[in-house]
Amino acid sequence: MSQQFERVQAGEKAFDWLLMLFSIGVLVEAYRIDGIPSLNSPGAFPVGLALVMIASSVVILFSHRRKRRDPRIRDARHEFQVFWKEHFQPHIVVFTLVAVAYLVAIVWFSFYISTFLFLALLFIYYRQGRVLSSLAIAGGSLAVIYVLFTVVFRVYLP
Amino acid sequence: MSDTFSYFLMAWLDPQLLLLTALGTLAGIYVGAIPGLSVTMAASILISFTFSWDINNALALMVGIYVGGVYGGSRTAILLNIPGAPSAVVTAFDGYPLAQQGEAGQAIGLSTVMSVIGGLLGTLVLAGSAPYLADMALEFAPRDYFLIAILGLLLVSTLSGKSLARGIFSVALGAIIGLVGMDMVTAQPRMTLGSMELLGGIHYVVVMIGLFGAAEAFYQLHNLNVVPVKQKVDKIIPPLNMVLKYLPLSVRTSIIGVIVGALPGTGGDIASLFAYDHAKRTVKKPSKPFGKGAYEGLVAPETANNAAVGGAYVPMLTLGMPGDAVTAVIIGALVIHGLNPGPMLMIETPHIFWFTVGNLALANIFLLLFGLTGIKIFTKVVEVPKAVLIPLILVLCVVGTYSINSNMMEVYWMLGFGILGYWLKVFGFQTGPIILGVILGPLLDKTYRQAMSSVGDSGSDFLLALVTNPLSLVLTTVIVLVLLGQTPAKPWLMRQFRRH
Repeated sequence: MSQQFERVQAGEKAFDWLLMLFSIGVLVEAYRIDGIPSLNSPGAFPVGLALVMIASSVVILFSHRRKRRDPRIRDARHEFQVFWKEHFQPHIVVFTLVAVAYLVAIVWFSFYISTFLFLALLFIYYRQGRVLSSLAIAGGSLAVIYVLFTVVFRVYLP
Repeated sequence: MSDTFSYFLMAWLDPQLLLLTALGTLAGIYVGAIPGLSVTMAASILISFTFSWDINNALALMVGIYVGGVYGGSRTAILLNIPGAPSAVVTAFDGYPLAQQGEAGQAIGLSTVMSVIGGLLGTLVLAGSAPYLADMALEFAPRDYFLIAILGLLLVSTLSGKSLARGIFSVALGAIIGLVGMDMVTAQPRMTLGSMELLGGIHYVVVMIGLFGAAEAFYQLHNLNVVPVKQKVDKIIPPLNMVLKYLPLSVRTSIIGVIVGALPGTGGDIASLFAYDHAKRTVKKPSKPFGKGAYEGLVAPETANNAAVGGAYVPMLTLGMPGDAVTAVIIGALVIHGLNPGPMLMIETPHIFWFTVGNLALANIFLLLFGLTGIKIFTKVVEVPKAVLIPLILVLCVVGTYSINSNMMEVYWMLGFGILGYWLKVFGFQTGPIILGVILGPLLDKTYRQAMSSVGDSGSDFLLALVTNPLSLVLTTVIVLVLLGQTPAKPWLMRQFRRH
C-alpha cells in the first residue's frame, strides 16, 4: 500500500523549533509572575497557557515525522537557499526595509512628507519606473488620506 | 414593544445612520471583493478611526462593512476565480465555471439575491433567539462561561487550520498576548518582560491591525504580479422562477449557516463549506454537475455565509463571545465605547441590540440594491494593481494604529505583529484564532479564577462541579468529544459505536 506524505516547506522545521523555544521563554516569564503558582494565583493561567504552547509545539514537531521534504531539495544547505529565494525576494526585502525606514522617518519628518516618499518610492519600484504616474498616484493618495482622516474621521495623524 | 420597534427602526429613519449603513455596505462589497483586502482588516482599522464617534454611527458603519464584505468576496470568486474573502472560497467551485460559460451576470445576480435571503433569515434568527439565550446566560456560572470560551477556542482551533496543534498554539499565543500587562485583581505585572511600557498591556486593536492588515500586506507581496483573467458580464438580475427554484435549498443552507455561525469561534467560511457539502449530498439532479457550474453549488455557500453573519452575532451579544474574527473586532468596538457585550447588554442597553438587528436588516436591503447595480464600475475597481494597493494598506495600518493612543511605540508593535503574522501564515498558522485568543484570553482568566474562588480554590471540587452541574456536564462532554474527534481514538470509538 502506498503511503501519501504531506510535504514540509523549506524552513518550516526551523520555524517550529523557534516556536518551541519561544514557548519555553513564555513559560519562564510566566513562572516569574509568582513562582510555582497556586490554582487561583495571577500566574496560574499564564503558566497553563505556556504549557499548552509547549505541548502543541511538541505535537507540531512530532508531526514532521509524517511529512517528507520536497524531493527537489537535496540537503540542509539547499533547503536554506530555497527558503531564502522564496521569502527574501527583492521586492519583499525592499518593501520591508522601506516600511521600517518609513516608520523611523515619520518621527523625524512630518507624516505627510514621509508618507509621500514611502508611497512614491514603492510605486516607482513596483511599477517599474513609471515615475510621473507613480508620483501622481502618490500625491492623489495623500490628498485622499488627508481629507479622509482629518475631515471625515478626525483622527490624530502621526 | 413600541420601544423595541423604535430601536429597530433607528437606523432606517435617521438620515445619518442610513447613509453610514449604505456607505458601509457599499465599501464592504469592494473591500470584500478586492483580493488582499479583508473585512476583518477593514473592521480592525475602522475601530481606531471611529473611537470618537457616537456608538450608533460606528456600529452602523461596521455592520454595513461586515454584511457587504461577506458578500463582496463572492464577486471576485465568480469573476476572477480569486475569492475576495475566505467565506467565498467555496463559491468559486461553481461560480467561476459559470463565468467561463458566459453566465457570470446571472451567477452574480443569483448569489446577490441568495445572500440577501440568507442575511435576512440570519437576522430573524438573531432577533428571535438572542433575548432568550441572554436570559438563559444570566443563570450561567463563571465555570460555564469558562467552558464555553474553551469550547469556542477549541472549535476555532479544530476547524480553521491545517492541524489542531497549530490551531491550539495560535489560540494560546493570542491568550498570552491578551494577558500582557497588570493583573486586574492584584495589579501584579504579567508577561511584561520587566518593561514599564507593557504594564498597560498591548492594545488588541494593535494586534488586530498587525495580524490582519500589515501581515496580509506582506503576504500579498508573493502575488504582486498575478494578473487575473477577466470575464464578460451581461444581464445581472436573475429571473423570478430561478430564485423560486432555489429557494428551498437556500432556506435549508441558511439554517446551516446560522447554526454554524452561532458556534463561538466559527464563521462564514466553515458555514459555506458545510452548506456546499449539504447541497452535494441532497441535490440529486443539479443544474450542472457540482464543480462544473451547478447553480446549487453557488446558492448553498452564498446563503450560508451571509446567514452566518446573524448567527455570529448571537454568541457575541448574548455571551460576549465572538462568533468569528469580525465579531471579535466588533466586541472590541463595543468595549471601547463603554458597553458590556454579554447577557447584561440586553438589560443595560437593549437599544444597542435592537439597533444592531435593525441595522443588519437594513444593510441586507442595501446589499440587494448595490449588489444588483454598478457592476461595470465594480469590474474596474477590483482591477486596482497590488503594486498600488499594498503600500496603501501599510499606510492605513500606520494611521489606524497611531490614532488609538497617538503612540508611535504601538505603531512599531503593529509592524512587529505584521511580520510575525506573515511568518505564521507562511507556515500554516491561522491568524483568526490568535485574535480570538487575545479577546477571550482575559475572559478565560477571569472566569477561571472566579470559578476556582467559588469552590475555595479546590481543584477536586472544581472538577466535581464540571460533572455534577447539568450545563457544565454537557459542555464538558462536548469539549471532550471535540478533543477525542481529533485524536486516533476517533475511528476506534466510531467502530465501537456502530457495533452497539
